[in-house]
Amino acid sequence: MIYRTLTFFAPAAVLSAWATVMLQLVVSGRIHAMLSPMFRNDVLAASLLLYALSVAYLVFHDPVSAVPESLMPRGKELGRWLLLLLPVVLAASFSSTTLSASTLQNRAPTSADAMPSLSGESAENVQAALSSDPNQPVPLEVTDLITISHTDAQIQAFNGRKVRVVGLYQPDGSKLVRWIMWCCAADAMPVSVTVNGQTAGAAAITNKESPWAEVVGTVTFPSTLGHIVPQIEADSVQPAKEPDEPYLSP
Amino acid sequence: MILLATSDLPDSGGIVWPDLALAFLAIILEGTPFLLLGAIVSGLMEVFLPADLVRRWLPRSKTQGVFAALGAGILFPICECGAMPIVQRLIRKGVPPAVATTYLLAAPALNPLALASTYLAFRNQDPWLIVSLRFGFSAAVLIFLGLWLARLRPEEMIRAETISRGNVPTNPETSFQPRPGSGGLSQFINAVVRDFLNVLFFFIIGAAVAAVFSVGLNRHLLEPIGQNPVFGPLAGIALAELLCLCSTTDAFIIAAFTPFSTAAKIAFLVAGPLIDLKLYWLYRSTYTPSFVHRLWARTLGATFFLTLIYALKG
Repeated sequence: MIYRTLTFFAPAAVLSAWATVMLQLVVSGRIHAMLSPMFRNDVLAASLLLYALSVAYLVFHDPVSAVPESLMPRGKELGRWLLLLLPVVLAASFSSTTLSASTLQNRAPTSADAMPSLSGESAENVQAALSSDPNQPVPLEVTDLITISHTDAQIQAFNGRKVRVVGLYQPDGSKLVRWIMWCCAADAMPVSVTVNGQTAGAAAITNKESPWAEVVGTVTFPSTLGHIVPQIEADSVQPAKEPDEPYLSP
Repeated sequence: MILLATSDLPDSGGIVWPDLALAFLAIILEGTPFLLLGAIVSGLMEVFLPADLVRRWLPRSKTQGVFAALGAGILFPICECGAMPIVQRLIRKGVPPAVATTYLLAAPALNPLALASTYLAFRNQDPWLIVSLRFGFSAAVLIFLGLWLARLRPEEMIRAETISRGNVPTNPETSFQPRPGSGGLSQFINAVVRDFLNVLFFFIIGAAVAAVFSVGLNRHLLEPIGQNPVFGPLAGIALAELLCLCSTTDAFIIAAFTPFSTAAKIAFLVAGPLIDLKLYWLYRSTYTPSFVHRLWARTLGATFFLTLIYALKG
């Protein structure tokens, strides 16, 4: 009897659990650490549909006429339901909000010319920055500095200018990193600029749980082994709030 | 083994469990809405698409059907997660498994969006050459696979449960049973729930395996052999099998692998959308293990053969 009740409610329970996990990730904003904006509404819609399906299943499923016993051994069937339920619940409970330095090492491009091609938004940011007040630090993204490094005219326009850049500070390599995401965190790739100079404030970041930092300094574009690598001579490195979008779009 | 080897490298980061959970959830969240959409389309087909009509639409010979499926893969692109429940339903409606499977393989591989993203990713590295090679080699491998599939009997390919679910009212695995007299809506709901949960089970396993390599594999491990004419394509194939990327994203990742030769990059772009560790498990929801193993071997063998010839001629 208990077994039959379990198998009756199991599909609805699994559908509801998945819907709850997905909705919780959307509502809490944790989905920003996992998925590109273009897929987030799909997850919201899917979670609502899964709720509706679980209710509809309970309404339209007939326990009386159901076959008396499943043909699959009980232990195996129970294992199947647990596999449908547990991994997603556990992953939602224990997942990080930012990919760690360890994964960064595994995914980092080996050389500057391996940086991915960027377009669209970054090019627009760079154009807007060109017309900003030259006496004030220009707010730029790590990806903007890489976009600039691909064009001689823009290198000349920005070389020696004060910039303000937010990213994940890696004190061991003196790098400021941003992750670029195409679809989801599984395909995210880190890009970085070198940070030299005043890094006294970096100790505060190293000791904090959040590695987000704002670097203000002078940008240069030295050539290393034939490749131009953006570099910031830092005036200050300060802890910063995590941006609303932890990943940048390519 | 690769992960263990990776952990000995000086630059290796190893696996961080919260990162693993993050990557797993990311893959799951990206794929589940499409899987659900596929299950809904499958449910609609169950209720509204008579099997007789499907059979009347089909070309008479399986070989013609295979080529029609290749065309359908270009015209009606859908990601592999969404395609799986639809393909299951098509098979149950009487579409020959060879034809349905060719469509399943062609939809992500010849997807126009995948070709457009390839152009964008390689726009600084001879994009038309890469796009042409990706499309041409993928089409050649698919024709080779389609002609092989056309010679197989359905029972050699398809799990017994995949076929039987269309003919009996109950699912032996989960005891689903519609309420009597509730009509088409009940039939639809049960078909959607059944198909969604059935494929989801294998998708979870595939996503978990993909997440392990996504965070734990040092991507530079294969770089030293990426330029070699023989080992380069093998490295590209190995990377595609382990990283399990979607066909609309993979080009951006491999474009940044500058130590890889063009042949190695093309091997990555051709093999990945056809089968990888995640798709292996997804395919197991419909096909017999022995068939999936043979499909895997033929796909990788054909990809290696074509890219090796290209590497040696180049």
